[in-house]
Amino acid sequence: MIHSTFAATAATAAAPSSLLGRWSWHPNPIFSHRRFHLPISRPLVLPCVALEISVQSGGAKGETEKESKLWGGRFEEKVNELVERFTESISFEAEELWMHDIRGSKAHANMLAAQGLMTEGDRDKIIEGLGVIKKKIESGKFVWRKDREDVHMNIEAALTDMIGEPAKKLHTARSRNDQVVTDLRLWCRDAVDRILTRIKQLQVQLVKLALRNDGLIIPGYTHLQRAQPVLLQHLLLSYVEQLERDAGRLTNCKERLNFSPLGACALAGTGLPIDRFMTSQELGFTAPLRNSIDAVSDRDFILELLAANSITAVHLSRLGEEWVLWASEEFGFAIPSDSVSTGSSIMPQKKNPDPMELVRGKSARVVGDLMSLLILCKGLPSAYNRDLQEDKEPLFDSVKTITQMLEVTSVFAANITFNHERIHTSLPAGYLDATTLADYLVKKGMPFRTSHEVVGRAVALCVAKKCQLSDLTLDDLCGINSIFEKDVYDFLGVDNAVNKFTSYGSTGSAEVQKQLQFWCSKLEITSSE
Amino acid sequence: MEKESKLWGGRFEGGVYESVERFTESVSFEAEELWMHDIRGSLAHANMLAALGLITEWDRDQIIEGLSKIKKMIESGEFVWRKDREDVHMNIEAALTDMIGEPAKKLHTARSRNDQVVTDLRLWCRDAIDRILTRIKQLQVQLVLLALRNDGLIIPGYTHLQRAQPILLQHLLLSYVEQLQRDAGRLIDCKERLNFCPLGACALAGTGLPIDRLMTSQELAFTAPLRNSIDAVSDRDFVLELLSANSITAVHLSRLGEEWVLWASEEFSFITPSDSVSTGSSIMPQKKNPDPMELVRGKSARVIGDLVSLLVLCKGLPSAYNRDLQEDKEPLFDSVKAIIGMLEVTSVFAANITFNHERIRSSLPAGYLDATTLADYLVKKGMPFRTSHEVVGRTVALCVAKKCQLSDLSLDDLWGINSIFEKDVYDFLGVENAVNKFTSHGSTGSAEVQKQLQFWCSKLEITNS
Repeated sequence: MIHSTFAATAATAAAPSSLLGRWSWHPNPIFSHRRFHLPISRPLVLPCVALEISVQSGGAKGETEKESKLWGGRFEEKVNELVERFTESISFEAEELWMHDIRGSKAHANMLAAQGLMTEGDRDKIIEGLGVIKKKIESGKFVWRKDREDVHMNIEAALTDMIGEPAKKLHTARSRNDQVVTDLRLWCRDAVDRILTRIKQLQVQLVKLALRNDGLIIPGYTHLQRAQPVLLQHLLLSYVEQLERDAGRLTNCKERLNFSPLGACALAGTGLPIDRFMTSQELGFTAPLRNSIDAVSDRDFILELLAANSITAVHLSRLGEEWVLWASEEFGFAIPSDSVSTGSSIMPQKKNPDPMELVRGKSARVVGDLMSLLILCKGLPSAYNRDLQEDKEPLFDSVKTITQMLEVTSVFAANITFNHERIHTSLPAGYLDATTLADYLVKKGMPFRTSHEVVGRAVALCVAKKCQLSDLTLDDLCGINSIFEKDVYDFLGVDNAVNKFTSYGSTGSAEVQKQLQFWCSKLEITSSE
Repeated sequence: MEKESKLWGGRFEGGVYESVERFTESVSFEAEELWMHDIRGSLAHANMLAALGLITEWDRDQIIEGLSKIKKMIESGEFVWRKDREDVHMNIEAALTDMIGEPAKKLHTARSRNDQVVTDLRLWCRDAIDRILTRIKQLQVQLVLLALRNDGLIIPGYTHLQRAQPILLQHLLLSYVEQLQRDAGRLIDCKERLNFCPLGACALAGTGLPIDRLMTSQELAFTAPLRNSIDAVSDRDFVLELLSANSITAVHLSRLGEEWVLWASEEFSFITPSDSVSTGSSIMPQKKNPDPMELVRGKSARVIGDLVSLLVLCKGLPSAYNRDLQEDKEPLFDSVKAIIGMLEVTSVFAANITFNHERIRSSLPAGYLDATTLADYLVKKGMPFRTSHEVVGRTVALCVAKKCQLSDLSLDDLWGINSIFEKDVYDFLGVENAVNKFTSHGSTGSAEVQKQLQFWCSKLEITNS
């Protein structure tokens, strides 16, 4: 049997772990100091770099005893190994939650001492012990054990191994039910901040991209049919608007989740004289939650975060779709730089915009994460049910994915060039000036419906003659309706047409400049670099 | 018989296939919901066009009068919706043209169906949110009234559906009220975020005609016009947000539904729903089923499905308008209709159940609900919690062996486990004692629950049960 460094240290510690539970096989049922039994655990291969050490197991199965569970008081049998593997959560939650768990425990210990529920000496030992554990985890030396089930019990048992008796007081007036959901709220609060930062970064990159392509006119589409000419800047700013609402949703979510569950304990609160306001404040929450059952039951703050992420993901998938189209040969609007493209292992000419395809595609898993959690929560009775352990993987995946999608889109935006020439040459096709022509007729006094029809016929004539609206002669036009005059040519052609848009929020240059000023000011952008 | 030419048919040479027409029409599912908002939007638009000199005041008056007649015809059921006129917008406009002729052709000046429809939708969603908020509040009120009618009733609190700790029923009911409060908060945030006006974005790029977007925005009680015309016609994130909020509410109601169905079962028998909210079996004469709550639980599925539909619909769509977006309406209407139904029915159910106080009380001892309180007793005596947890665990094991409750153990029994027990332990044992040992803020202790009740009675303006 190979012991990890940590386990060896524990064996020589004066204070043993009092993990009694199976009093039926201990001869003396009276509480007494127990010899620490070195636990057998399966080799752990954890996906994170920080946790490299694995504990080897040795000896025949069943020969050496398992560590008793922290909750094992009334239990007479050990847990089935298959069940243990199925139900452990340490393998997916440790890396994300340990820091918040320690933070929560420190606040709790501080409060317990302040309330006289533990001595200051005990508190100091706990805080010191947690500090040591924190460093161990950060340096990759800490061993996470599946037989200790989850991050909470791993940390507490390790603390007990380290400091003995005082550690057993940490969980006074606390349950994993309120502990875990406190950890999760802290985690989500941080996650929201991380996402907000990246949303802002992407907004900045999009505005800079707009500034670098000042005045570039592109076809605007509806139904993927050329509709009206728009300034590229105008389109890029439409994404910025959507991202702004995405950020708003996250800000609202963060505000709504920022209430402390600590002190709700299992579901009913406690009779011990705790101070919920103290822990709430120390952890930066707005206030303690008003109802203890609500506090441990509900994951609606996660649902809200995942829903917000899903909407952001859908926005990015739409942007991704457009940029993939623009990179195609047929559109040829944008050239991504090599640094954000990939090739083909078989076709030498290929240069693919894979990052944006993956941005588009990863929206699927973000939506799926939301679905998982909605279905998970559906029909669950109040308070805690073990199903809720399954809330973490979708949450972590959703946040990780959306963060990356935002980052990659930012990088991509910083590394594409627009083909001004190619776009310019292709612009006449599509009768993009048709609505502007209709507006011309309205200005001459024609009812819009009639003008729509008239221009429709003019377009049909162009189709027959294989030419553009601006190629038609005044005779051609007057043959459709006599209202046309020479000034019509001021409204035809794409460059004219774009500048005929003047309404608030339109694609006209002046309006777009106003938008750009608004965003440069809001996002504190001073240059396009 | 010749078909009527399409309002958009200027450059078109052939008519459209009937099968295509049937596939693409939307009037059959949107007319009833949207006509009122469509007319309202058109009235505001006409007022603005006249104010800006784009149509004459006479034209505007004709339009307004015509729309008003159409409104009456729709309300009285006389109006005929035509599928060959595709959607609610073109139905109304064509009917107006049939009615008043030339002036009608000016209504669509500086407007596209792209900004028209999304304006209609925002108005619809704004109303819908108000309707949902009303029902949320009604349900909160019913839950608080139910709590007031069952003052002091102790029930088992569960985790993992295993008896955990004794709680006041009121405390559990108030946990639902808290969740509903957040649901309302999400809807309020959504309403605030959606309340911006797309009118004037036209197809996607705005217009050159001298319109006043602020005027229409104000007349329609929006906060302000949207800043970017492409965003204005592209985005349905306000619908996604509403459907998400509904999904979270639906999940909350499904959890409440699950609990109440459990409570109505023979094995739990905590509640008896009245006949007015129950259904029978066509074959088993004894049956009395809590179907309404089963359906509340079950309808959460379609609400989630509506959200998924719209997420999948929007995924990967290029900017501005794409016809796919027509499919946004049915999920939206269904989601709102379902959540309203769920909220209303839950309210009615809550007003028509009786708790079986006797049955609950006699079942209460089972489950060692006072175990944690006993552990707290030991902590108060100075024992570290982990140790006390273990000690009580062994005590419970003893009860299991002796087939008795914790309060049935003698002091000798307890000393056999640990000498720290004293006579005062019996003040902590038994469910009534245990419940009142909870004193922390937000706990199930009587005083704390009274505070919560006062808070909610005040907030919801409840004066009696």
